[in-house]
Amino acid sequence: MNTAYNFAFFDEGSKREIRRATLKAIAIPGYQVPFASREMPIGRGWGTGGLQLTLSLIGKNDVLKVIDQGSDESVNAVNIKKLVSDTTGVATTDHTTEATLIQSRHRIPEVPLKKNQILILQVPLPEPLRYYEPSESETKKLHAEKEYSGAWLMLFEQIMKYGSMTTGADHPVLVHDRYVMAPSPIPRFDNPKMHESEALILLGAGREKKVYAVPPYTKVVSLDFEDYPFEPESFLDKHCRLCGSTGVFLDELVDEGTNETFYQCNDTSYCIETLNEVEPFGVK
Amino acid sequence: MTLDIVHDLQSVYRKLVDSTSRPGLISDLRKEAALVEEEDQKGCSASLLLLALTLFDQEVSFKVFSKQADSVSKTINQLTYAKPTEAKKADFLLILQDAEKGSLEEAIINAKAGTLKNPHTSAFIFVEVESVTNGEALLLKGPGIHSTELVHLDINENWVESRQEKNKEYPLGIDMIFIDQHHQLLSLPRTTQISRNRVMG
Ligand SMILES: [Zn+2]
Repeated sequence: MNTAYNFAFFDEGSKREIRRATLKAIAIPGYQVPFASREMPIGRGWGTGGLQLTLSLIGKNDVLKVIDQGSDESVNAVNIKKLVSDTTGVATTDHTTEATLIQSRHRIPEVPLKKNQILILQVPLPEPLRYYEPSESETKKLHAEKEYSGAWLMLFEQIMKYGSMTTGADHPVLVHDRYVMAPSPIPRFDNPKMHESEALILLGAGREKKVYAVPPYTKVVSLDFEDYPFEPESFLDKHCRLCGSTGVFLDELVDEGTNETFYQCNDTSYCIETLNEVEPFGVK
Repeated sequence: MTLDIVHDLQSVYRKLVDSTSRPGLISDLRKEAALVEEEDQKGCSASLLLLALTLFDQEVSFKVFSKQADSVSKTINQLTYAKPTEAKKADFLLILQDAEKGSLEEAIINAKAGTLKNPHTSAFIFVEVESVTNGEALLLKGPGIHSTELVHLDINENWVESRQEKNKEYPLGIDMIFIDQHHQLLSLPRTTQISRNRVMG
């Protein structure tokens, strides 16, 4: 642990500010609360919003997991883990069930989250209405008036154009029947995990200086139409080449030698744990 | 032993997060409250002071309802640099146990409820009560609650109705935190719906 820094990097004043904003975010599910985002020693767009949330929450007894697009080992995840553990001394883990704080970019882990865990999602673009309304003051007004016809129109235009909702990641959701919210660029596959989640979910956008929240047991509905219901990515009849899992989010890969398409768990720690259950090796 | 403003206040904050994201979940602040120096309290309970130390600084304002409001305000201002102000402007309203009857309702009526564009510019109300585990049964519903949650709260005022009136235009509203004599904390954010439970469970 590097004692030249404050515990958890931040000074206490910065923590207080984001803590006040976070409590308001929990009290108003899906509403984006502004906060004074600080400069961080990692590049913007590398998860500074999520990192600031993590630093404001973390205590000596926490166990931290950081994942980037399903991987604990990516440079981004490793850098964030190193910064946090260097300034706090907390333990880190790859095992989802062992973690008390999970900071993630682009995924919600496959292992269902529990009560004693907080999921922190990194958000590049917190404003789901930004695609059709560039002005912040206008989007604030639209949220205030619960005027979301533009969001539906956007989805409708995609259906007209492509015959289906091709939103890919970051498919907008309606939270507690009140706010349309960007779930961050998680695949549609992960959207249903936000509904009535056992764990608190906090979302942080560093560049846009917003925090928002989905409390546990909160209604989260992906926007859709009666004729075109919301559909998560389907991996029917497909399984992970490594661990054999089905019903998880799979990455499609191509074998360069044979040109054959195969699939692999996107959540690498889940994949390794499943493999170890099947074929135990080493000391557990 | 004295309070560690980094680690002990982090612990208080996490309990605030737990209780606010799971209304009805009672958090225990006894360990941290025991570290608050007697001389710092000046008529304010140790656990209420902990909340002030966790969340207050020069950027926020507060209003104290108490027979000793002046001295308590002075103490909080000296410890946190937060500014005392009138109820209608305060970010935090503190209702101490010795406050005159009717203070809680008065605070609820006057507190900032935020605006439709900025509902987060609303007030938090912190209330000292005898007990958050004994007293009138209240049934809670809303985000953070798996079906329903039953709590017992000992307050001698018609605050439930005043709160409901104040929070009727969601997302406008107030968020409330109750602290009892045993440093137990209950949080009722604006999304929590309360019904008085006449049937003893
Ligand atoms: Zn796998």
